[in-house]
Amino acid sequence: MGTIRFRFICVALVVSFFAVGMAAFLNYFKYKSTIAGIAKTRVLLVGRGIENSVLASLQVGMQFAELSQLTQLVQREKTSDRLVKGIDVFDTDGKILYSTDLARVGDKVPAQWIGIANRSKNNEWSVEGAQEHMAGISVRNAFNLTVGHVGLRYSREEVDRAAAVAGREILMAALFSFLGIALVAPLALIVVIRRFERDLHALETATSRLEAPGTPAASTGSAFDEALGQLRGSLADANRSIDGVRARLDAAG
Amino acid sequence: MFEKNYLGRVYWRLAGVIMLCVVVALAVVSYYSHRVFERELVPETEQKAATVAASVRALVLKAAGYGVPFDQLYGVEQTFREVVEDNPEFDFMALTDLEGRVLYSHGKEPVGARPHFRQPSVLAVGLDPTATWKAAKVEDQFFVSMPIASDRPLGMLHISIDGKFINNVLLEVLLDVVVVLVVSLFFTLELLNFMAGARLASGLGEFSQQVQRIRSGDFTATARMRANDEIGRLLRRIDSAVDHLNVRYESITGELDQKLRSAVGARREQLRPAVEALEALRARFRFGAAAPGASGDEMNLNRIRAPLFAFILAEEMTRSYLPTYVNQLLVDIPGFSPQVVIGLPIMLFMLIVALGQPYLGSWSERVGRRTAMLIGAAVATVGFIATSLAFNLYDLLLWRSLCALGYAMVFVAAQGYVLDRTGQANRAQGFALFIGAIMVATVCGPSIGGILADNIGFRAAFAVSGVMAFLSILAILKLPKVELKLASARPSRAPRMREIMALIVNKRFMTLTGLAAMPAKIILTGVCFYLVPLYIVSIGNTSAMAGRMLMVYAVMMVMIVPLSASLSDASVRRDRYVSVGLMISGLSGMLLLISDSFLVLFGVVFLLGLGQALSIAAQSALVAEHCQEEIRIYGNDAVYGVYRLLERLGNALGPLIASLLVIFWGYQGAFIAISALVLFCGIAFTIATRGPAWTPEPAAGDD
Repeated sequence: MGTIRFRFICVALVVSFFAVGMAAFLNYFKYKSTIAGIAKTRVLLVGRGIENSVLASLQVGMQFAELSQLTQLVQREKTSDRLVKGIDVFDTDGKILYSTDLARVGDKVPAQWIGIANRSKNNEWSVEGAQEHMAGISVRNAFNLTVGHVGLRYSREEVDRAAAVAGREILMAALFSFLGIALVAPLALIVVIRRFERDLHALETATSRLEAPGTPAASTGSAFDEALGQLRGSLADANRSIDGVRARLDAAG
Repeated sequence: MFEKNYLGRVYWRLAGVIMLCVVVALAVVSYYSHRVFERELVPETEQKAATVAASVRALVLKAAGYGVPFDQLYGVEQTFREVVEDNPEFDFMALTDLEGRVLYSHGKEPVGARPHFRQPSVLAVGLDPTATWKAAKVEDQFFVSMPIASDRPLGMLHISIDGKFINNVLLEVLLDVVVVLVVSLFFTLELLNFMAGARLASGLGEFSQQVQRIRSGDFTATARMRANDEIGRLLRRIDSAVDHLNVRYESITGELDQKLRSAVGARREQLRPAVEALEALRARFRFGAAAPGASGDEMNLNRIRAPLFAFILAEEMTRSYLPTYVNQLLVDIPGFSPQVVIGLPIMLFMLIVALGQPYLGSWSERVGRRTAMLIGAAVATVGFIATSLAFNLYDLLLWRSLCALGYAMVFVAAQGYVLDRTGQANRAQGFALFIGAIMVATVCGPSIGGILADNIGFRAAFAVSGVMAFLSILAILKLPKVELKLASARPSRAPRMREIMALIVNKRFMTLTGLAAMPAKIILTGVCFYLVPLYIVSIGNTSAMAGRMLMVYAVMMVMIVPLSASLSDASVRRDRYVSVGLMISGLSGMLLLISDSFLVLFGVVFLLGLGQALSIAAQSALVAEHCQEEIRIYGNDAVYGVYRLLERLGNALGPLIASLLVIFWGYQGAFIAISALVLFCGIAFTIATRGPAWTPEPAAGDD
């Protein structure tokens, strides 16, 4: 295989790898973000129920730290979706006041959660952790002041598992597409560059017989015919001139 | 030259075939992705519908618990409407009684919904005290049905999932896939040039030169290494034919010299015809060794294209998301509005590039273009990687300064590389290649950067830019180590302060610079680099969308600039192109007075690209055309040096002006105000360039 043809095929493979790789990458991340979005929405729906209960209690004058029924409520709400691993209700300082996991009551949530909740433009926020994801709702009273947060911990396993399954299949599709290109593109390229290769071959053949005496400057039909003709003519002219000198030198004895 | 169009045709045919293969492959990947999406997402969405249904059921049961009859509930449709609005994948909700009659509903009822509600298998779920929920596909819709029961069965809640929601999800991916396709086309052309074309063009160019040389009777032998490919082999054969001629010539010359040394009297007379023939041969042809000179490879301008493209791509990739990233790292700076602070890294970048370039030109000349490019790319690589790890705005400013310094070094050195290898005859061609690499990077960079930032995050996207800058170092290492400079080339110098002062009070010069070049750059960086990325994200869109928008601008430039350049050259009324271009740019932002819709924003970027493309090529040519007196006094270098300096200061002013306008009038107001400023400058330029003083003269050379 000619080195130029090899380089053209390499270009086709590199570009195809980029395009197919990017398409697979985009589809995978779109799937992952969609599935993660669905999971978060499901979890937040559970949180909305708790938020409504808290707001109803606040509206009748109860204090955020004195909602005695909230522990039972969060435990009941936790069972409404298998995705939810735990629910914490904490104040603006991050102190957990109510939780599905009673051992957590009194603990402080990571400061990062509070920071993200405070920076959120609406009252929903989320944190992605190594083990668990967190979806949160900031509870705002009638004066639009944040009195606390409802945080719902949910397993990232389900999202990761679904993403892994989809990712594997998208990767396989991409690999098969790429293999298909790797088989088809060289053949298609060979057809397309045949004319170019023929021109180059004609040029190579013609230059291999540049000085052959008596070889006619036959047309090869390539784009280089004119240049080749000029080259052969000039070389023949120079050779004839040197022959002339040789003839005179030989004649002188 | 035969090889230019010839190779161009070959490239386009190859690119066409590669693109065809890529399109088929992308279609296959998209088809399988659609199947995976449908299979995996539908059950998840049904589960979500069940969770929503459970929440609505709780409300219904609460009302029923207070004794409200099931068929007289209040506000059910209102609740349904809120649910459908919050969840775009749901398009219909209904509450039915135990016989499947619809009591309450919201949304367009799907075909086959009522018969489905009355199906015995569905009604059985409502009567089953142990049932949770049931999913079914009716026509192209998916239904989730949940029984509602307190102490006794009351009815059923149905949520319909739009069967097209998977298509809607994939439509967003499709837009990115189209971007990938466009970028792939440009990558194909660049790679064809880098991996095969540069050597092919150089080889065929050298073949052409050899033919010309031999035609002119120059048979001097060149001792060059030839590549072991088709072109290299044929060049070797030509070298061999020339060498053979030289051997014959040397042999005859040696033999004749030897005979002449021993010849006397009549013998000399016998040799005279041979001596005369040899002298005639020498008069017509040249033999021997060729003077050592730059090889075709060292003179090959194409070799600068790949490193320049890779390096500029690294920076362009950050355009679509940099302001949003800065927004994340924002810290309070007393006395500065957050809007101004967000624009600070862009301003600083542009300022360093503007002020650094005049001085870095002579520096790169001293240390060598290749070395300067290597240092610049290394500095920028460190800058990109450090930016990806930035702690807050303060260190981000430092890292972006490194990127700016590296950018200025590479830009100036690459420009110098082209200048060193071109003369008056081929300078325009050299700069077309230089600008071509930048424009292609401008098309590909923001869109790919936006996609990356959306999917892998801002920091990882900056790290990718770092990798790209590092790859450019590898490409720079392949540049010839030998520094070249044509004999006609003069050393470059930065403009002096007195020249700057003299020119900025020069009416003619400032008409071109202050009313055309600077406003064009202000609107470019103010709108494209600052307002578009921030505004798009502020209205709930993504960085990928900002990238697509910037791609529209770049595509307009790539398509229109060559056309407008040749048209403005041909018409000899470049000032009209500048006027029209400025006014179109100025009108672009006014579109936001009609509406703030996304399509209108597309129109803004489209018009801005069109306006800039019309005016940009003619602007610098106008300097040579109308400032001949200034060029005579201060020199071409000084006039163009000051022109470029002021133009780039416009780049730095753009984000500052835009951010100040945002503080007072918001994003839309800023778009409109900055456009109004450019429109005003366009009108002022048109008025100022009327009259005999601006009558067109024959075109002069550019910088």
